[in-house]
Amino acid sequence: MRRLPHKILLIAKRDYLAAIQTKAFLIGLVIAPILFGGGVMTSVIAKRRPDIRPRRIAVLDHTGVAAGPVIASIQRLNQMELHDPKTGHQVMPEYSFETIASDPGDPNAQRLELSQRVRNGELFGFLEIGPGALHPTPAMRADPAAGLTWYSSEGGVGEVRQWLAAPVNDALRRIRLAELGVDKSRFNEVLANIGLQGMDLVSRDARTGQFRTGKRDYIGGTAVPVAMALLLTMIVIMTSAPMLPAIAQDKMQRVHEMLLASATPSELIRGKVLAAIWQALTTAAVYLVGAPLALKALDMSDLMPVHLLPWLIVYLIAEVTILSAMAAALGAACGSPQDAQSLNFVLIAPVIVPLIMLSQVIQQPGGSLATGLSLFPLFTPIVMLIRQASPGGVPAWQPWVGLAGVVLVTTAITWLAARVFRIGILMQGKAPRVSELVRWAVRG
Amino acid sequence: MNAIQIQEVTKMFGGVAAVNDLSLSIPEGSIYGFIGPNGSGKTTTMRMIVGILRPDRGSIAVPGEKTNGVPIGRIGYLPEERGLYRKMRLRTLLEFHGELRGGLDVSGEVTEWLQRLGLAEWADKPVEALSKGMSQKAQFIAAVLCRPPIVILDEPFSGLDPVAAETLREAILELRRRGTTVVLSTHDMPTAEAMCDFIFMIFRGRKVLDGSLAEIQEMYGSDIIRLSTANGSVGGGHDFSGLPGVEQVRDLGQVQELRLARGSDPQLVLRELVSRTQLTSFALAKPSLHDIFLRIAGPASAGAPEVTNETPAS
Repeated sequence: MRRLPHKILLIAKRDYLAAIQTKAFLIGLVIAPILFGGGVMTSVIAKRRPDIRPRRIAVLDHTGVAAGPVIASIQRLNQMELHDPKTGHQVMPEYSFETIASDPGDPNAQRLELSQRVRNGELFGFLEIGPGALHPTPAMRADPAAGLTWYSSEGGVGEVRQWLAAPVNDALRRIRLAELGVDKSRFNEVLANIGLQGMDLVSRDARTGQFRTGKRDYIGGTAVPVAMALLLTMIVIMTSAPMLPAIAQDKMQRVHEMLLASATPSELIRGKVLAAIWQALTTAAVYLVGAPLALKALDMSDLMPVHLLPWLIVYLIAEVTILSAMAAALGAACGSPQDAQSLNFVLIAPVIVPLIMLSQVIQQPGGSLATGLSLFPLFTPIVMLIRQASPGGVPAWQPWVGLAGVVLVTTAITWLAARVFRIGILMQGKAPRVSELVRWAVRG
Repeated sequence: MNAIQIQEVTKMFGGVAAVNDLSLSIPEGSIYGFIGPNGSGKTTTMRMIVGILRPDRGSIAVPGEKTNGVPIGRIGYLPEERGLYRKMRLRTLLEFHGELRGGLDVSGEVTEWLQRLGLAEWADKPVEALSKGMSQKAQFIAAVLCRPPIVILDEPFSGLDPVAAETLREAILELRRRGTTVVLSTHDMPTAEAMCDFIFMIFRGRKVLDGSLAEIQEMYGSDIIRLSTANGSVGGGHDFSGLPGVEQVRDLGQVQELRLARGSDPQLVLRELVSRTQLTSFALAKPSLHDIFLRIAGPASAGAPEVTNETPAS
C-alpha cells in the first residue's frame, strides 16, 4: 500500500493538467485582467491621451457684469494648464467662449436653444451665471439657477464642471472685493489658495532613531489595495468558479464512483483542492511576473507592494482552499448543470461581499466595520489584504489572528465538504434540500 | 478462507431498507454471482463492499485484515453506471487508475490488457472517441489493473455485443484462474449459471438464495419436464395447460417446459402426454436459474424458500 499523500498528488496532478490544458484557462488568463482591470487601464490610457479638441462654451450672464471677468479667469487657467510643463505636450483642450445676453422674457426658451446647440455639437456646454451669483444668500439654495449652473452632455463626475468651479468663483470674488473697495493689488493675497498636504503618520526607526514621514500618496494609497483585492478576487474566481460545474459534470458522467474504490472521498477532495491551489499559483505567477512590467510601462513601479506579496500568496491559497472545497461539495450536491450555475453565485459570495464593501473598507481601513470583516474567516483573505495594503496598515497581530481563523475554517469546510461529497456524488436525478446537505455534513 | 465476510448488514435509504440483515461469506478465489431484480439491493451491497457506502448496521470485513471494512486498494470495481474522464487519452487514463490503486509502474500491464481486449489501437485516443463497448472494456481494465485480490463487477456484460461479452467472460475466468475473487452481478441467468461458483439472490433487500447452482436447484427438486413433439411448436397444436399434475406451462418454441405441481408423479404426466401427442423427447429436469428467479421475483411469484444466513458457501 502506497503512502496516502501519493493518491492526493495523483488526483491533483490529473485535475491540474486537465484544467490548465483547456483553451478556457488560457483565454481566461488574457480576458480576466481585461475585464477586471479594464476600467483602470482605460482611465490611465485616457489620462495619457487626453481629448484636446477645442471646446466652445457659452456664458449666459444674468448679472450683466460677470461674464467678462469669468471668461478671462477661465482662459488664464486654461493657458496655464494647456501644456505639460515637462514635455510641452498639450494635455487639455483649449477653450473659447461666447457671451449670451440674458433674455428676461423667457429664460427656459433661451436654455432650450443653448441646449440644442450643445446637442448639435456647436457648444461643449453653457455656463449660466444667475442673478444672485455675485451676492449669494442662503435662500438661493432652493433655486440653483439663481447662482451658478452648468449645462453639458459630459458624463461621469463632470470633470469640466469641477475644473470650472475654481476660476469662475475666483472671478466672482474679485468682483465682490472690488465692490467692497479693496485695493486691486491685494486681490491675489486675499484670494491665495493654500493646498492641504496630506502626510503619512510619523514613525521612528528603531535602529537609527530617525523620524520618518512623507507626503501621503492618496492615489497609490487607494490604487494598491484595490489592485491587490481585484487581483486576489480575479484569481480566486478564475480558479474556483469553474470547479463547481466541472465536478457537477463529472458527477453527471458518473466518473467518481470508480475512483472511490481506489481513494477515499477525503483524498479525492483534497486532491481537487490541491489542483485548484496549483492552478491559482500558476495564474498568480503569470500576473506577478507581468505586473512589474505593466507598472514599469505605466511609470508606476514604486506602487508595487513587494512586502505584501507573501501575504497575497498565503491569502490566495487560503481562499482557493475554502472555495474549491465548497465547490466540490456543492458540485457533488448538484442534480443538473442548471443547479451548478445557480450555486456558483453562492460559491463566489465570500469574494463578492468584500468587493461590495470595498469602498467602506478603503475609506476607513482601521474602522470597526473593516476590522470586523477582516477577522471573519470567509472574508479575511480579501479584507485583511486591503487593510494591510492601505496607508497605516494594521496592527501586527491582526493578520495572524485572521490567518488562524482562516486555517480553522478551511480545515472544517474541507472536512465537511468531504462528507457531503461522499454521499452527494452518488446521488442522481435530484438536488438535495439544504436540510439534507446539513444532515450529510453532520452525520457523514 | 473467505475473501469477504458480510455480517448482518442493513442499509437504509429514507426509511426503506435497501439491504436488510444480510450475511454473506464470499470464498477466496471464487466467482460469486449476484442476481436479483432491479432495485433489489445488489448495487447497494456492492457499494458497501467497496466502501463507498457505509452499512447502518452490521459489518463487512476481509478476514485477516486489522481494519474494519475492505481496505481501499484491495478491490477493483466496475460500477454499474459507467463513467470515465472523457477528455483523457485512454492509456493515460488507465495508468492514472492503476497508479491510484497503488501501482508503481503500470504501463506494461496497461499495454498487455489493451492488447488482450483489442484496444491497443485506441491507446492514444481520447476516451470520448471510444464506442460504448470499448469504453466498457476500458473500464474493466481500469478495474483489474494492479491485480487486486478482489474484483467487483456490477453488470459487466450489459450493453456488450456477443463478441465483446465473450472476450470479457474469458478475461474474468482468467482472473479466477489467477486466484482473484470475483463478485459480479448480472441479469443474464445462463451467464450466472455457467460462470459462477456461487449464486446469491437478493430480493427486496433480503437474501433469498445463496449457494452453488446445484445446491440451489436441489432446494427446488426436479420438477420440470422438458419435452418436444413431432409436430413442432406449441405442443404440436395441443394445449397442455390444465394437464393433471402440471402447475405451469411455458412454451419456448421448439421445446415446452411443464412445471409439476408439488407431489405430482411425473410418470402419470408422461402417460397423459403420450395419450395426447407424439413426443420426440421427454426429460425430467431441475429448474433453471431463470425459472427459480421468476418463481421468486416474477409477477406470480410464490416467494422464496426460507434461506438462513448460514450460507452453503461458508
